[in-house]
Order: sequence, then C-alpha cells, then structure tokens
Amino acid sequence: MSLRAIAGLAAALSVASAAANTCAAPAGFAPAGRIESRDTVLVYRTVPPRIEVGKHFAVDAIVCAKAAPSALRVDAQMPAHRHGMNYRARVAPQGDGRYRADGLLFHMPGKWQFVFDLERPGSTERLTADVLVE
Amino acid sequence: MRRAAILLAALAPLVTAAAETVELDPVEIRLVLRHGPWPQPLLRDPSNRVSGDAGAIALGQRLFFDARPSANGTVACATCHVPARAWTDGRAQAAGLGPLDRNTPTVLDAGLGRWFGWDGAADSLWAFAVKPMLHPAEMGGSAHGVAAVVRGDPRYACLYEAAFRAPPGADDERVLVDAAKALAAYVETIRSGRTPFDEFRDALARGDRAALARYPLAAQRGLKTFVGKGACRVCHFGPGFTNGEFHEIGIPFTLGPGRVDAGRHEGIKRLRSDPLNLLGRFSDDASGAAATQTRHVESTHASFGQFKTPSLRNVALTAPYMHNGRLATLRDVVRHYSELDMDRVHADGESLLRPLKLSERETDDLVAFLESLTDPRASDPPGPPATVAGCAS
Repeated sequence: MSLRAIAGLAAALSVASAAANTCAAPAGFAPAGRIESRDTVLVYRTVPPRIEVGKHFAVDAIVCAKAAPSALRVDAQMPAHRHGMNYRARVAPQGDGRYRADGLLFHMPGKWQFVFDLERPGSTERLTADVLVE
Repeated sequence: MRRAAILLAALAPLVTAAAETVELDPVEIRLVLRHGPWPQPLLRDPSNRVSGDAGAIALGQRLFFDARPSANGTVACATCHVPARAWTDGRAQAAGLGPLDRNTPTVLDAGLGRWFGWDGAADSLWAFAVKPMLHPAEMGGSAHGVAAVVRGDPRYACLYEAAFRAPPGADDERVLVDAAKALAAYVETIRSGRTPFDEFRDALARGDRAALARYPLAAQRGLKTFVGKGACRVCHFGPGFTNGEFHEIGIPFTLGPGRVDAGRHEGIKRLRSDPLNLLGRFSDDASGAAATQTRHVESTHASFGQFKTPSLRNVALTAPYMHNGRLATLRDVVRHYSELDMDRVHADGESLLRPLKLSERETDDLVAFLESLTDPRASDPPGPPATVAGCAS
C-alpha cells in the first residue's frame, strides 16, 4: 500500500470516527444496530425491540453525517427469497437527525435486511443491516 | 434466551432416546415449538364494538344460518360454510345463487386473521361478512333487504338492541354493517380445538417421553420434512400454520378466455376503494391502530396472482384445495410442491419455491403430518344460540 493510499485511508477513518464520536444515542435509546460509512453513522432501534413475524413494528433511526440527508427512506427485503415487505414504511423526521419509520411488517421468518436510503441532492447513499427473525 | 437454550439442550436427548420417536435436533425442536401453543387467545377486534358481546354473538349465529337476507330466500352463510364439513362445502368452486370462481375457505379460526378472503380484499372480518350478503352470485341481497330482516324479526331486533344499545334504525347501510359485525362476533367464536400435533408439540415442550411416543412415526417424519427440507413452515408459520400473507405458488389463475383471477393485485385495489375498510367511518377503532395494515399495504408487480396462505389446521377436512379447488387431495397438494413446475411460477417469484422432489415415503409422511393437524371435533354441529335476557330464545 502506498503512502498516499495509507493517508487516504487514515483520513477516511478519521472522518468516520469523527461522525461516530458525535453520534451518541440519547439516554433511553437502546440501539439495535449501528451502520457506518465514510461520511455517515446511522444508529437504529425497533419498536418494540423484538420483531415478531406478522406483527407491525416501527424503526427509530438517528443519522449523523457531515451532509445531512434531505430525506430518509426505510425499507426491508429478504435477499435470499428475492422479495421485500408487503408494506411500505412511512418515515417522519423528528428533528436533529432523528426519524421514525412506521408500518413495517416481516411476513416470514428468516434473514431480513433493513435498507436505509439517505437522499441528498444528486445522490442516494444506501446503508443496510441484516437482521434474523425467528 | 439462555434458559431456552438449556431447555432445548435437555430436550434433545429425550427425543432421541425414545425408540418410538424420530430424532429431532435442537434447531428442529425450536422450530416445532413455534407452532404452538394451541389454542391461541382470541383478542377482541377493536374495530368491532360488539366483538365478544353475547347479544351480538347470538344475533350473528342466527343470521349465519338464516337464508332470508338472500335475494330469493334460499342461501345463507351456512350454505357454503357447512359445519358438518369443517365449515366448508366440499366443492372445488363455491356456488351460491350462481357459480363462483374460488374455493370456499373454512371459517374455523377466521377471527385470528389479518386479511380476509383469498385476495385479502377485506381488512376486517365484519367488512368481509358484508361481501357475500351483497354479491349477486352468493346471496344477492341488499342493504335494505338485510336491514328489513333485522328490523322485522322481533327476536333479531331485540338481540340487536341488546348488542348495540339501540334498536335498528332507519339507515339501511348502518344496520347492514351492524349485522355484519354481529356475524363477525359469532364467527370469531368458531374455533378449532387441539389436535394430535398439539399434544406432540406440548409433550416436546415439557419433555414427556410417553406422550411423544403416542404421535405416529409417519407424522413425526412428515413434521421433520415440514420444518426442514420442505421449508413449509416459512409460509405456514406459527400456531395457526399461516403467515396470513399472499403468495404465488404456480397454480394457474386463468379463468377462461380473456379472464384471469389477479388475486392479491385486485384485492388491494378493492380494499382501497371499499368504504367499509378500516380507514372509513364504520370502524369502531378510535385509535386508528387497527388500520395500520391498511395504511401501509403495498401492491407490487409480484402481487398479481398471489393468494392468501391458508391455515393448515383441519386441512384434511377441507378438500379440495388451493384458491380455485384445483387439487382434489392432500396427496395432490404435496405432489404439487414436490414436482413444482417452475415455468408456471412468476419470473419474479420467490426463490424459496423449488421442486421438493419428495420420495413416495416422504410424500406419505407429509400427508400423515397434515392429517395430524385435525381437531376431531372440527365438524361438530354448533350448540344452540345463547339466550339473552329480555329476548325470546
């Protein structure tokens, strides 16, 4: 690895680390997961905490990013089955980088994947997190 | 979680030690336990203010067996939902005043559902109960006709007032919807009881070797296929053996030249345009929580040709099978999945579906397992309607 590449990696890690450091969940918010990219940290929890097959649930997300997204979309899919949910979540901004997505429902047991799309002018950043539901 | 792991570790040797039982590993045991306990508690429907009300249940039971609301006075709910046939009719496709395209589903345990009808066009049991009363090929009735029967029969009017705290008024649509809510309150009480599988499942939970050994070996082998190789449990999930959602499984949905049954795709359209859906003024759920599914349901390209996953409880009593009654026997159903024609499954269908390629013995075993989901009292006649104080019995 060249010195330039190492310097680039160090810079990227520094940015991510800075974002991570400034993305602490508030008191009472027990994250179920944390996703980090170069410029963004997203922590989330589900409400209720335990996802049950066939029961609606919500997702609370906190986004920490150098460039705040103009909108957040939340979806989920079962990659192994090549399908998503039969329901569309609606996301409501709560301010200060916090969002609530309502109306999710996993209709099968197995490995699901949360999909968070952060909309910014001219681009969409996709963050994903796997979740196993029994 | 730790306690559960310890319990499962302790159970595994019990299951393998008995000579009369099939070996189940800890993962299989955990999956089997997910199909219980049974019966499940029935929660009152918040969108139906008379759910669980004795007067409404009595009125609903009488209406269920009453043909007077139909156009010519010959068709009742019980014409197709025959108690002695596990609340189905034994026909491939239903027939009321005229022929219909779909198979009659049982109403056993219907109160546990989330969507109603093969296409889920109704989001409540009471909204679903209105449809056959008005459908021209089912009962062919009208709001005015149903309301006239309720208002004109002194016993019905009395039960109505007991349930709804007011006599049936002049608004025909309101009385029709209330009659449907009474029907739903009655149907919620039509529950299936325990089955040989439930005895096995509970014996597994408590580590009862003697009780485990009473479950037929073929059914045990079939159960192992059900939760394992067959992956049947993914859709036929939980204590009710259904995930309550919709799938396309390679059953043709053409009805004849130029006619198709679009299933869930059309069902969502009908749901959204239905003034009786849970977003409308007839829902009694002031919180709006019951309508969550209706607010968020989404129609996709894959919805076309999807039909609701039926419960497998009492499935041995409800032949013929599939949304159009195309398959005559349980063996035909198992063979359908064993020899699945992938050319008939949507190109964007679920990759979960694949031919299971079951041997003859595996087929027999799976059928034996499905037969073990039978409540021996599922076809018993219902008792007489309850008496309600102040109303003639």
